[in-house]
Parts: sequence; structure tokens; C-alpha cells
Amino acid sequence: MNALIDPAHRADEAAADELVLRGPADGGALAARLAKRYAGRVTGSFVVPGREGAYEPLPEDLPPALADALRARGITQLYKHQGEAWAAAQAGAHVAVVTPTASGKSLCYTLPVVAAAMQSHAKALYLFPTKALAQDQVAELLELNRAGELGVKAFTFDGDTPGDARQAIRLHGDIVVSNPDMLHQAILPHHTKWAQFFENLRYVVIDEVHSYRGVFGSHVANVIRRLKRICAFYGVRPQFILCSATIGNPQQHAEALIEAPVHAITESGAPSGDRHVLLWNPPVVNPDLGLRASARSQSNRIARLAIKAGLKTLVFAQSRSMVEVLTKYLKDVFDHDPRKAPRIRAYRGGYLPTERREAERAMRAGNVDGIVSTSALELGVDIGALDAVVLNGYPGSVAATWQRFGRAGRRQQSALGVLVASSDPLDQYLVRHPEFFEGAPPEHARIAPDQPLILLDHIRCAAFELPFVGHEVFGNEVATPWLEVLGEEGVLHREGDRWEWIADSYPANAVSLRSVADGNFVVVDRTGGRQTILAEVDYSAAALTLYEGAIHMIQATPYQVERLDWEGRKAYVTRTHVDYYTDAIDYTKLKVLDAFGSAPAGRGDAHHGEVHVVRRVAGYKKIRYYTHENIGYGPVNLPDQELHTTAVWWQLDQRTLQQAFDERQQALDGFLGAAYALHIVATVAVMAESRDLQKAVGSGDGAWFVSSDASGRGQLRGADGQPTALEPDAPFTPTVYLYDAFPGGVGLSAPLFERREDLVAQARSLLERCDCHFGCPACVGPVLAVDEAAERAPKALAARVLALLASL
Amino acid sequence: MSALRDRLRGLRAQAGQSVAAAAPAPAPRQTTIEDLRWLLGVRARSRARPTTPFPARDRELFGEEIAPGLRYTEEHVDWPGPPAPIDTRFARREEMIDPARLLHFDTETTGLAGGTGTRAFMIGAADWCGGRLRLRQLTITTMAAEPAMLRTFAEWLAPDSVLVSYNGKCYDAPLLATRYRLARLANPLAGLDHLDLLHPVRRHWKGQWENCRLATAERQLLGVLREDDLPGSEAPAAWLTYLRGGPATNLRRVAAHNAQDLKSLAGVLLRLSALGGVAAREPS
Repeated sequence: MNALIDPAHRADEAAADELVLRGPADGGALAARLAKRYAGRVTGSFVVPGREGAYEPLPEDLPPALADALRARGITQLYKHQGEAWAAAQAGAHVAVVTPTASGKSLCYTLPVVAAAMQSHAKALYLFPTKALAQDQVAELLELNRAGELGVKAFTFDGDTPGDARQAIRLHGDIVVSNPDMLHQAILPHHTKWAQFFENLRYVVIDEVHSYRGVFGSHVANVIRRLKRICAFYGVRPQFILCSATIGNPQQHAEALIEAPVHAITESGAPSGDRHVLLWNPPVVNPDLGLRASARSQSNRIARLAIKAGLKTLVFAQSRSMVEVLTKYLKDVFDHDPRKAPRIRAYRGGYLPTERREAERAMRAGNVDGIVSTSALELGVDIGALDAVVLNGYPGSVAATWQRFGRAGRRQQSALGVLVASSDPLDQYLVRHPEFFEGAPPEHARIAPDQPLILLDHIRCAAFELPFVGHEVFGNEVATPWLEVLGEEGVLHREGDRWEWIADSYPANAVSLRSVADGNFVVVDRTGGRQTILAEVDYSAAALTLYEGAIHMIQATPYQVERLDWEGRKAYVTRTHVDYYTDAIDYTKLKVLDAFGSAPAGRGDAHHGEVHVVRRVAGYKKIRYYTHENIGYGPVNLPDQELHTTAVWWQLDQRTLQQAFDERQQALDGFLGAAYALHIVATVAVMAESRDLQKAVGSGDGAWFVSSDASGRGQLRGADGQPTALEPDAPFTPTVYLYDAFPGGVGLSAPLFERREDLVAQARSLLERCDCHFGCPACVGPVLAVDEAAERAPKALAARVLALLASL
Repeated sequence: MSALRDRLRGLRAQAGQSVAAAAPAPAPRQTTIEDLRWLLGVRARSRARPTTPFPARDRELFGEEIAPGLRYTEEHVDWPGPPAPIDTRFARREEMIDPARLLHFDTETTGLAGGTGTRAFMIGAADWCGGRLRLRQLTITTMAAEPAMLRTFAEWLAPDSVLVSYNGKCYDAPLLATRYRLARLANPLAGLDHLDLLHPVRRHWKGQWENCRLATAERQLLGVLREDDLPGSEAPAAWLTYLRGGPATNLRRVAAHNAQDLKSLAGVLLRLSALGGVAAREPS
């Protein structure tokens, strides 16, 4: 969009930037100057006040050698929450610690764990959601251990651990640092090899528990059930210490995960500076078309100013390619001298582990001034202190927004957080209603561990680990019916009251906790006859980033994909010097295969059945750097990403719609809004994450579907994904679908069908109770154009659709 | 799930009683098998269910039942010998081992998947007894007999026993260690000396033979050619078939296969021993 800005305007901006850079540099000062110079763009600004530290002396019952080691590391007193965690752990309670990033959370579990290892050779298992976090933790433990010569041995145990090291870790590790996937696939199914470890297991530490929600969290809760079952076999009942970022229901979530009461610690004693938050809407660059400058151009500008002002700055982008584009822009300013160490780094999934570790080290050492990352840095990877965080687009949840802002902050100095809105209706709504964001509580984390199909997966794995005997209870359920199903399947054999595993298979390998399709793609550099592996891309991202012709960037260096070997999971690339990047054009459509059940729903009907969801990458756009002109298209010829799953759907027939609506567009808007509201109430009803349950509006026969346009209105698209319009006499049966976003389904849709009347009633009440006039993200989705009569606003239209679907 | 739960409310009282003692709060729930089948609809459609074999007449098994579900066979055979002290230089060791200490062993298992879900349903062992090779086999015909089998096998081992196996260090011994652990029994194999012949055979003949499996080694070194041998991969199915009430035909063939493995093991060891110092060198 910068191309539309005239030179005079550009000079004004440069002058404004000069003014912004004058004066002292901390987050608060920069926030004030930005708000002054860019008053038209800053739509909201507020300050989260810092707090004084609350301290207490090192506990007296701490082993002296450990206390000495802490002092040697410069820790002479504890924050209050660390002391509270120590006391609760010593009292034998399960503990949940919920405090911000960089509040010394890890000491809350390190102290009890290391003390127990020193005093009674007790063992501990740490679970982190990512390998990077696990490695951080081990490095920290080793430093503490060295500082006091404590003799405590800590190891990571993950997919990268070599076979010959595993035996030693099983026998000699005091603290084994792993992840839920390894526990599920490698440790529990081989628990006899870990017998000594389990017999002495005192603590299980689970960090970042807020990331274990939805279907993933439900799987993890079942892995914890299996862990407890194995522990019982070895006669131990370990204490759990859990840590979470801020979510709406931390204690409840921790208790749901481990199915036991926890002592929750929610007051942080760590000092922090003020946090200044700005909501930023890019300026209108074409008033006639209502076009705004891109979020990218604004994020780039804000990050540039912050770095020039001497603030260590982290930019969060929503996609991997956006990370690379923003990295390039910042490198063009700050890294033009190749002889100097880079000041700007990109950090994202898909880099080789060594490269990520190297970037983390450089950041910790303070050698990096600007980092551009995906959500990969939302978790607690240790990257040292930062001063400013820029969000290029709304991350999708209040909790994630605060977690990202929380990345910046020093004890004595104020920090800056800027949320730059994209053109997405949700982003636009938020920056235009700053009070909505400021007052919004962080979301709740939800899990449904008794979801029958998830339960079946884990009862299967549990039966492999130890036979079930009698009417054994697994979680909250008597396992017997599940065992009978597994017996019929031929994997279990019943003898007397025992169910024994009998199949020649390893069930944990067939159950993926994260439901990601298998088979990473490797990116192979063939420049100049080389054959070097540059990166790994997971299956789900491959179709969008590795099509032939794609520009694949690594630390902002562009490579072009020359050949994609889909079956062999390889992409061959060569170094290139083009002045554009590429962006995939993709769309999703849905088709009903079979209805299992149907029932009337008001004046329409509701169904439950099997659907086929197709995601297709139709082609790609070439986009020139800086000007962001579209300079061409390319075709993509890839297999469709197909998902066979279950769904629940509601329909109204053509005649009913004709009576209720003046025109078809209104009905479409109403269906889109109704889908949004039904999705909200349905996710809560099945305790899912919104990403686990997807919504769609389309024709009953799959001929067309509807997506939201930039203003939140429905845009009809044909089977090829292109915008289209219906012939006036074409059949018209709009349908709202809620479907399970997992291959084969995890069973979310059947209970929704059972509760269909309740859901419609709840969605109606959601609309009635919402204070907005035309529609907002809390009811029918963000609505921007409100220059029309209220009865034609999406909220009213959605209410009309829901009324037609409600019981008569 | 609420509707499913509602339907089950009637059953819950029933189930609650039977598990009341073990049940944590809140009271456990029970789902009916029909409900589960219905929920599994989409997934199950593509999956074929194994058929239960027809009740078979040919259920005759070998040996005697020494404990419920545990069968024992013993056989004494003439086999290349008579054994002299074993020269262990083939295993890059120095000492001579008294053949009376040797216990050749081989298990037949329910599969190769590994982990706690794989078990041995047959343990065969061979030792030198009065100048002849004594073959003993333990076979379980019920799951419940496993501890008895493990205890019996433990009795065959002495603190100075030397185990002889083919890939047993990586496969049979760890598998048995797991089974002893699950049965809460001490592992009698732990700490015993163990000659695994796979690696010496590989060192010496790799590249000269098409592969170094035991069947190849016995053909090349001992001139044994098996007839009607049941491939090892079919052993799990043979036992499962019998366990589920099917015919014993193939299970008898598994026993024959296992017995031949034991004899070959003893024969290959003698050949390796006879190589003396030659085997210690890398092949040229």
C-alpha cells in the first residue's frame, strides 16, 4: 500500500519519526511519543501498572548446599510466590503456579525437586510442550547444579536423544525433562525399562499447562491418567507441580488435567515496570475505496522506530512467510553490513533445531536487537529481556495477546506493547472498540478427557501398558465397555476378569496427541550442485508454502521451490534473487456424504452425519516487496487436503427463506452470523477449543459456500473458490455446518446433534443479551459497516435465522 | 455427551455398585457397548474385524501340563558333540567355558512390536546333559499361566549359567526382563553371562552369505535344511488361533521350529568354538 502514499506524505512521516526518536528511550516514553505523533492511528492506549516486588528469605528447611548454590547464582531471597510454592510442595500438595512470563516460575518447581533429589534420591519428571523449552530447563538446572556441586543429574529425553544415551538416562537421571508426546509414545509403553525411575518418582512438573487445551489437552489429560496408573503399579503417588500463563480458569484447568485438587498460586511477587499498550489502526490510504495501509507496513515502522530508539524489540507475525517478509524489511535497514553479526533474527517453527538454538543463544546474550517470530516465542523460551512487543495482527485470543505482550518487560523500566490491526474484521472491530479489548477477561482453557473416542485411544494404550483387571475405572469411567470393543477388534483377549493385550502392534504410535498428520517435509538446497537440508516443514504447512514456484525464505534469504516430491516429502530449492514473495490462494469447501440422523428444527431441519472437507491450494500470487503489488499468478497442482469427518448442520428451505428475507444476501448474512453464534455456544458445550470445532456456511449440495468479506458480510463463492453470484432461479438452501476438525472426527458432533435445540436457544439468548447494536465478536462476529437500518444489520438477520430454527 | 449420559443413567447405579470400592469421586460412569459402537461408526467402517475361528477338533498339544495352562516338553537328542570346553575367542574373549554351564535359549513371542504389550508364549532351552542335548520347552495355553512359566524357567538358571542365544541380548532377554517385571518377579537373567552368537556370526561371515539369520547359519555351518518349517512371523498367529479355540496344528509346528532353533544354536556355538583364534580376526 505504500505505493499509494505520495512523496510529500512520506517526508511528513520521516519528520514525525525524527520527533518520535528524540528524548529518553523506554517503553513508556516511546508510547507517549507514538501516541502523540500518530494520534490518528492510535485508537486506544492504556497502561498496566507495574508492581513492587514482594520477597521473603530463603526457606530455612532448604538444604544448605542448595541455598549456597542459589546464593552463588545471585539469588539471596525468593519472590513471595516462590516461597509459597515451596511451602505448599513441602506440605505435600499438588501446586499450580500462575504468574507472568519472567517471574521466576521455574524456581517454584526447581527448589522442591532438587531438594528431594539431594535428600532422598527422589526422581522428577518434567513435561514441556516443546523440545526448546526442555533444553532451556536442563541448561538452567545444570548451571545451578554446577554452582553448588549438588550432584543432581538432569537430562532431556526426547526424539533426538540417541539410543545409547537412553539407558543411562533411565537409570541415572534424577530429573528427566521430556514432553507429553514422548511420555505417551516412548516412556509409558516401555515403563518396565523405567522401573527404577518410577519406583522413586516424587514429582511430576508440567509447565505451560495453558497450552494443553481442547483436543490436545484432552489427550494430555488421558496420558496423565495413564501415568498415574503406571505409578500406582510401582507403588508411588507423585506430587504434581503445574505452571500456566494467565488464562481465565487456571486452577480449574490444572485440576481438570490431573483430576485432583491443587493449591493455586496466582499472585506474583516479581517486580515489574509499567506496561504501555497501544492499539494501532493503519491509516486510510485511499479514502474512496476505504483502503487502509497494511498492518505489515505499520509493524515494520513501529519496530524500526523502537529498535532505533534502542529498545530490544520482538515482532509477532501470524504466519511463517510474514515472519520472513518482516525480517527482510528490518534486515534491509539494520543488517546491510554482512561483516557484522546480524542485529535482526527470525525465529519460527520449520528451522533446523541447531539454528533455533543458535538464535536463542544470540538473543539471550543480548546480541540481537530485533526478533521476528511466530507464536513459537509465545511460550517461555528464554530469550533474555525485551523492551517492546509489536503484534502484526490480533493473535485470536485475549490470553495469547497478553502472553505475547508479556514477553517484554524489565524490572525497573516500562515496556511497550503495540497491537497493529490487520484488515480482518475481528482486528478492525477490536481497534475500533478499545474498551472491548481492555475489559475482556482472558479465555478459559477447556478439555473434555472423557470424549469417548479419545478415551478409547487411551484405554487402548493403557491396556498395552498393563492389563485391565475387573471393573477397573479409567478417569471417571468404568473401562469395561471400551475393553469389550477392543476385544471385538481383536487387540485384547479376555481371560477371567483380566483383559490382556494380544495384538502385534504398538498402539501409541497410532495415536497422535496433537492430531498432526505425519511426515515432515524436508527442504533440500540444490544450489550449485549441493544437497543440503535447509529446513523441515510440517505436513499441514507444506501445501501452503512448498508448492513449485513458491519463494521459501529462511532468515529472509529467498529460495525458490523447483520441485516438490509430495510422496517422498521433499522440496528441492535453489537460492534465488527475485524481488517478490509468494502467497498461496486456498479455500475450503464441504460436502455431505451421509446423514446419520435428522430431525426437524423449528421451520427447518437439523442433521448429523459424515462430511467431506476439502482444502485446496488453487494457485499463488507473486507479491513485490515494499510496493506489495500483485505482479503475477502461478498455478499449483497439489493433491487436495481432504478431511473425512463428522458434522452437525442446520438448513432452512427456499420457501421459508423467501418469506422471511427480502433478498438472498440477507439470508446469507443471517446464516453467517448464526454460524458464528452457534460456534461460540457449541465450543463451550463440548468443552472444545474453537480451532477443534470448525464452522462453515454453504449450500446443502456443496455447490457453493460463503465466506466473510472485509466488512463482515457474506460473499458467495463457487466450487472453484472464486466469488460468484447465483442465478435468480438457482436452488438456494443455505446450510450452517459445525464440524470436527480431525480426521475421522473425535466425536464432537454427535453430542451437538443431541443438544441441537438447546444450542439454538443458547445462541438466541447470546444475541439477546449482547449489548451491541449491529453485531460484534461476542455474538455474530465483527460488523463494520453500520450505515444501514438496524433490521438489516447482521445481528438482526442472524436472530431471524435462529428464530426460524428454534423449536416452534 | 449429555444425551448419551442420560441414556446411561439407569445403568450407572448398577455399575456404581460393582466398582464402588475402587471408584474415586465423582462416581464413575459406564457407557454401553452399543453406544460406543455407534460413536465409532465412521472409523470402524473401514476396518475389518477379525473373525473368531470355528471351534476346532484338532486341539491336541505336546507335552504334559505341569501347572494350569502350562505345558512342558523334554527331549534328549544326539547332536554334534560331545562337547568340549568352549573356546570363546570368537566372541573376543579369552576364557574357556565348561559346556555344563551353557543354557541355550530362544523364545516365541506374540510379535515384534516391543514394549510392555509383547509377551513370550513359549520359552525353549537346551543344555548338555549326559553327553546328549536336552531340549526343554515351556508353552502357555492361558495368559494366567505366564507367571508359572517364568518361575519354572528361573529354576533352570544357576548363578554361573552362561546364556547362549541368537540376538537374545537385544530381543529375548529384554523381553523376558519386562515380563518378569510385570509379573513382579525377580529377573533371573540379570547379571548372567551371555554369549549372543549373532554378532560373531556377522563379523565372520557377513558378505559371504546372503544374510546372517540363524536359518542361514545352520544351513551353511551344519548342513541343516528344514522341511515344513513354520516361518517365525507366523508364530504369533499360531498361538492366538489356539488361544481363541482354534486348531493346534500350527502351534505344534512352532514348537518344532523352536526345537530346531535350539539345536542349531548349540551346533553353531560348537562351530564358532572350533574356529579357535581364527574367528577373532576380521574377515579379510
